[in-house]
Amino acid sequence: MLERWITALHLEDAAAETPAETRERLKSLFPPGATRRMTQLGIALGAALRPLAPTEDDTLVYASTYAETRALEAYLDSFPAPSPTLFQTSIHPSSVQQNLIQRQQALRRFFPVTGGPELVAQALLVALLADTPRALLCGGEERGGWLLEQGRASDRSFAFALALSTESAGALGSLRIENSDTAPSASPAPASAPSFAPLPLPVFFDHLRERRPFDGLVAPGRRLVLRWSS
Amino acid sequence: MSALPPIRVAASGCLTAFGDETASLAALLAGRRALAPRHVHGAAGGDLVPIALCEGRAYDETLPPSWLPFLRALAARIPASAPWGSPRHPVFVTGSNFGVSHLHAYRAAAGAPGHLDYGTPAECVHQVAAALGWGPDITIFSHACVSAHLGLLQASRVLAAGLADSALVFSFDFISAFVAGGFHALKILNADFPAPYQDRASGSIGLGDGAAFAVLTLDRGDFALGGQTLHNEMHHFTANRADGAGFAACLSPLPALAAGRRIWLKGHGTGTLEAGRLEAQTLAQHFPEAPLVSWKGALGHTLGSCGLVELALVIAALRAGRAPGTVGAAAPAFTPQVAFEPFSLDAYDAVVCTSNAFGGAHAAFLVHHA
Repeated sequence: MLERWITALHLEDAAAETPAETRERLKSLFPPGATRRMTQLGIALGAALRPLAPTEDDTLVYASTYAETRALEAYLDSFPAPSPTLFQTSIHPSSVQQNLIQRQQALRRFFPVTGGPELVAQALLVALLADTPRALLCGGEERGGWLLEQGRASDRSFAFALALSTESAGALGSLRIENSDTAPSASPAPASAPSFAPLPLPVFFDHLRERRPFDGLVAPGRRLVLRWSS
Repeated sequence: MSALPPIRVAASGCLTAFGDETASLAALLAGRRALAPRHVHGAAGGDLVPIALCEGRAYDETLPPSWLPFLRALAARIPASAPWGSPRHPVFVTGSNFGVSHLHAYRAAAGAPGHLDYGTPAECVHQVAAALGWGPDITIFSHACVSAHLGLLQASRVLAAGLADSALVFSFDFISAFVAGGFHALKILNADFPAPYQDRASGSIGLGDGAAFAVLTLDRGDFALGGQTLHNEMHHFTANRADGAGFAACLSPLPALAAGRRIWLKGHGTGTLEAGRLEAQTLAQHFPEAPLVSWKGALGHTLGSCGLVELALVIAALRAGRAPGTVGAAAPAFTPQVAFEPFSLDAYDAVVCTSNAFGGAHAAFLVHHA
């Protein structure tokens, strides 16, 4: 069993806002002019992550299925004269880098994770296996443009950041992963017919926002228990 | 750095433009270069830049993907002893591009909607997993050119925690106009061929197809990984701290772990000037007696897969007893430790492998006989 205590939680729900609306609403949290160069996800993630004040000795796990959708769309639309700025901004961990580069905050352990419905379970396992006293789990999505029209982007914008500690003092709750299947010869379930109920990233965000408890099999042989302090 | 038990490499293999690790090692030892001039935008033209593609693979995206048969051939060499993608035998897929080139095919080249099925990392890996018969226990890391190192480290942690019996780390990056166009726009992919660690007037990189696998366990395999270390400068998107502090922070735990071992160095060495100089100088400070090589002047930069591709080549070199030199480069070098020619490994018993990425990301590990 792997368990850590939730000692801080910050959320940013930009829902269906346009990037300009999110920028205008949150720009006061950033240095003057800084948000002009940031993506919507970068701004939302920064709003959630900054209060946790990441340090070099934290582990930071970043989870996103689609990541920098708008920058990717714009980069693709810049061909046949591709934009160097959009190219570098479109890479998966860009939203974290936009914020930490702005703060010149080095970080030894940084794990950008992506994936489909099993993403939350996999990212949590990375965080719970961290070798540092504090692990920060952050993530989010931004609402897509033409990729959303094709079903290849998030339909909402949101971000979250959790501090996960090995110490329970002042905890808001806890996250635990239990392996429910330890049979060495377990056969793989077909990818198209999972024997578990995935916990997609937006649903995980909603659990955090509503502080709803959760207990379920979220990946093959992997049970997630999310509890909140009363 | 993680305090992990020695992690054994039970099997490894790779694919480059030269072929598998045996063919690739032979080509590197012979000083051959797979990079060749190719129009950066493929059928749409553009400048000629050095790109190394797997033999017969189309540069412009196709459906089904031109890279899929190459992945199938590589995956056929993974030991079938475990049900990959099951809870006790998880898969860690790493890369930087996955199938994003298919979004380029759909949008910029007005291709078929079927390209979208490969466009996101999750969908691309889902398609690959279905093609290769893997189960759903798959973790995907995407951290540009240090991605493979993250897969190796997380796989190691899962094994060390007793959560798995064996772990498959799998990585692939196939070059397309999407990524070549980006590096060309950044002006580091240009008409010149890369000359890693060579002190010259201007820098340049080449890009190459790459895919690889490693099966990790706690108790099987002739070679072991130790001292897996990471550092992220977060100084600039595409530049490192001028004092080399990021390189040093990543490497600092390794000399103690390598004490008593006779080390050689497989560096990142893409062919850029500033990063190459900082990397070579910092490696020389930490391992002053160790020869340094990079193979990206021959293979091209295989991007997010480079850490795993080069691990397979390192193991092949250790088995063969001979390491390739820094193909494509010549004196003067940034440091005297840079080896341009192949050398015998009789005098060495371990190697430090390094990779670097956007955001000042650094990663390294030690490989030695188990």
